[in-house]
Amino acid sequence: MELQLELALSSSSARGSDPNQDCERRRKRSFDAAFLGIMGSVGAPQTSPLLIWDDKEQINGELHDQKRIYDLATSNRNGRVEDDVLVGWPPVKSWRKQFRHHSRRDCATNYVDVENGSGGGGGGRGLNSMYVKVKMEGVGIGRKVDLSIHRSYQTLIAKLIAMFGKFEDNAETYKLTYQDMEGDWLLAGDMPWETFVHSAQRLKLQKNGY
Amino acid sequence: MAYSFPEEVLEHVFSFLTSDKDRNAVSLVCKSWYEIERWCRRRIFVGNCYAVSPEIVIRRFPEVRAVEIKGKPHFADFNLVPEGWGAYVYPWIAAMSAACPLLEEIKLKRMVVTDESLELISKSFKNFKVLVLSSCEGFTTDGLASIAANCRNLRELDLRESEVEDLSGHWLSHFPDNYTSLVSLNISCLGSEVSFSALERLVARSPNLRTLRLNRAVPLEKLPNLLRRAPQLVELGTGAYSAEIRSDTYSNLAEAFSACKQLKGLSGFWDAIPSYLPAMLHVCSGITSLNLSYATIQSPDLVQLVTQCRNLQRLWVLDYIEDRGLEALAASCKDLQELRVFPSDPFGAEPNVSLTEQGLVSVSEGCPKLQSVLYFCRQMSNAALVAIARNRPNLIRFRLCILEPRVPDYLTLEPLDTGFGAIVENCKELRRLSLSGLLTDRVFKYIGTHAKKLEMLSIAFAGDSDLGLHHVLSGCESLRKLEIRDCPFGDKALLANAAKLETMRSLWMSSCSVSYGACKLLGQKLPRLNVEVIDERGPPDSRPESCPVERLYVYRTVSGRRVDMPGFVWTMDEDASLRFS
Repeated sequence: MELQLELALSSSSARGSDPNQDCERRRKRSFDAAFLGIMGSVGAPQTSPLLIWDDKEQINGELHDQKRIYDLATSNRNGRVEDDVLVGWPPVKSWRKQFRHHSRRDCATNYVDVENGSGGGGGGRGLNSMYVKVKMEGVGIGRKVDLSIHRSYQTLIAKLIAMFGKFEDNAETYKLTYQDMEGDWLLAGDMPWETFVHSAQRLKLQKNGY
Repeated sequence: MAYSFPEEVLEHVFSFLTSDKDRNAVSLVCKSWYEIERWCRRRIFVGNCYAVSPEIVIRRFPEVRAVEIKGKPHFADFNLVPEGWGAYVYPWIAAMSAACPLLEEIKLKRMVVTDESLELISKSFKNFKVLVLSSCEGFTTDGLASIAANCRNLRELDLRESEVEDLSGHWLSHFPDNYTSLVSLNISCLGSEVSFSALERLVARSPNLRTLRLNRAVPLEKLPNLLRRAPQLVELGTGAYSAEIRSDTYSNLAEAFSACKQLKGLSGFWDAIPSYLPAMLHVCSGITSLNLSYATIQSPDLVQLVTQCRNLQRLWVLDYIEDRGLEALAASCKDLQELRVFPSDPFGAEPNVSLTEQGLVSVSEGCPKLQSVLYFCRQMSNAALVAIARNRPNLIRFRLCILEPRVPDYLTLEPLDTGFGAIVENCKELRRLSLSGLLTDRVFKYIGTHAKKLEMLSIAFAGDSDLGLHHVLSGCESLRKLEIRDCPFGDKALLANAAKLETMRSLWMSSCSVSYGACKLLGQKLPRLNVEVIDERGPPDSRPESCPVERLYVYRTVSGRRVDMPGFVWTMDEDASLRFS
C-alpha cells in the first residue's frame, strides 16, 4: 500500500484511488490556511487596527503633543520613589543586592587579609550604601531605604513616613519592625542604632493597636 | 479508514515529539490527530498562568505528567509589580489534585506558592518526583517539611531564588530514613541554617545525588563532610566559602574536592576568600559552569581560578573580574557560550572597578562560541557595540545594562542607536535583547527592520515618541514578550498595532504615557486580550481619560478576565464602563 501523506482534513470514504488526482490537491488546505489562519498571523491581523498609523503625521506634526504627554507622564512618575532612587533600577534582583551587603560587612569585620589590600577597593567602598526593603502595612508597593545615611531611629522613621507620603498625618499610629539575620521580626528601637543597622534585613511599618 | 495508522502507532510516533511547537502543529492536522495527541501529551508549558485556566488545560490533556507554569511579569524581579498582584498557584494544584493523580513534575516561576499548596502537592500525587520553585514566594519551611515527609519518590527539590520564610531548619529532618531517591537538592536561597546532621545523613543515603546546592549558612569546614559522602556529584553549590585560615581545613577541603571526579558545575562561594580557592584546583579542568556572582574576590585571584577552567561554557561573575580578567578569560576559555557580569556596587555613583566596554569586546573577540551575554557596566560606545556585533554574529541573547539611564556613547556623546543597530543587523538569530543608554527612535527602526527572530525585548528610558514603539510592534515578527519602562510611548502606536498584541504572550508598560482612555478602548475592542491597569492612585476613572496609567499589562488569554485581582488592578473590557459608573 502506498503511503498517503496529506495535509487535508480527514475526508470521507469517497477518496479516489489515484492519490495524485487534481481534485485531491484542490481539497488540501494550503499551509498558510491550515496554520497561520488559526494561530494568528502578523501579516494578517484578525481585527482591524484601532488607529491608522500615518507616518507623515506621526513624524512631523506630533512631537509637540508627544512632549505634552511625556510631561504629563513625568509628573506621574511612579518609577521614581525619591529624587535619588529609581525603583527597580539598575535591574538587579533584590536578593543579589542583599548578599552584597552581607559580604561587605563581613569583609570589614572578619577577613580583612586580602580585600582591602588588592586593587578595586570593593570592600571598603561598598559600605556606603545599605539599601533595605521597606513595606508599609496596607500599601501594595514596597520601597527601599538606605540605612547608611541615617544616624538614629528618629530620622529613619521620619524618612520612612515621608516616603509613604499620604500617611504623614498618621505617623503616630505606625510602629517600625525589622527582620533580623535569623529571619525573626522584631520591634525596632530596643538595641543601639549601629547594631540595628547591621542586623536589619528588611523593615516594615505596622499599624499600632490592633 | 483504509489508509490511517492505528492509534497506537500514531501515539508511538508522537512520543518522539518533545517540543511544544511540534506537538501543537500535530494537533492541528486533523481532528483524530488532535484527539490522539491530547491523550498522550505528558508535558505542558504554560507561559502565563492567566492565559488559560487549569480546567481547560486538564480537560484537554488529561494524562499530563509534568507541568511548567510562569506567573508574574519579568519586571516583578525588580519590584515593579506590587505585592498581592496575583499568580497564585493554588487553583492549579487544587484542580490537578482532583484530576491528575499521576502528576510527577511541577515547575513554577514567579508564582505565589503557599504552604497549603505544598501540602496539597505532597498529599495528592503519589508518584511526585520533581518540584522546582524559581523566584517564587509565599511559603515557609513548614511547606517544605510537608514535601519532605510525604513525597516518597521525590527526585528533585529546587528552590532557586525563591523567597522562603525560614521558620526552622528542621524541615530537612522530615525526609524519612528510608528515603533514598534524591537526585537534586537546591536550598541556596534559604537564609538560616538547616540541621547539618540531617543534611549529612540525607546526602549519605542518596546514592543518586547529582546536584547539591547549599545555602550560605553551611560553613566551609563542614563542606568536606558532605563531599566525602557524595563524590559522584555533578553540580555543587558551596555555602559560605570562607573560614579561619587553617591548614587542616584546607587539606580536608582539597582532598574532598579531588575525590569528586564528575564535577561539572560550581556555584555558591559567598564571602569567598582567595586562600581557599586553590583547594578546587583539581576539579577546574572538568568545570563547564561556574557561578561566582556572590564571590567578592578581586581580579587577580578571580582570574587565576577562571583561567584554570579551560572547558568553561558558562560563567557568571561580579565585575571584580575587570577588563583584564575578561581578557584572560577570552584567551583561556575558548568554549565559553554564556557570560554574565553583575555589578558589585550597583548604586554607587563612581566606578569601583576597572570594568568597561573593553572587557566585553575582548570576550567577543576571543570566544567564538559566545552566544549569550548579560553585562552590567558604566560606559559603552557605538564602536564597541559594532565590534561585538561583527565579532559575534552568532549571538542569541544580548542584554546590556549601563548602570546610569540615558548615558550616551562616552567617546562621541551620541546616542547608542548605531551600536545596537549593528547588533540586530549582524546577529540574525538574536532572540532576546535588552537595551540601555541613550537611545532615540532610530534604534527602534533598526530593531523593527532587522530583528526578525527577536522574541523578547526589554526597553528602559529610551526613545523619543510613539514612532519608536510603532517600529517594534510593526516590524518584529517573532516578538512574544515586550517590557517597557519609563519611555515616552503613548496611545498611538499601541492602538495602531493592537492586533499585534494578540500574537504575543504579553506586553508590560510602566511609567509611560498610555492614557486610561486608550486602555479602555484596547480592552473593549480586543476581547481575546486582558488589558490590566495597575494603579495605586485609586480607580482610573477618578481621573481624566487622558491621564496616563501607572502600569499596563496586556496579555492574550482564552480564559477571560482574572477573578483574583487585588484592589489596585483593573481590567479594561466591555463591562469596564458599566462597573465604574
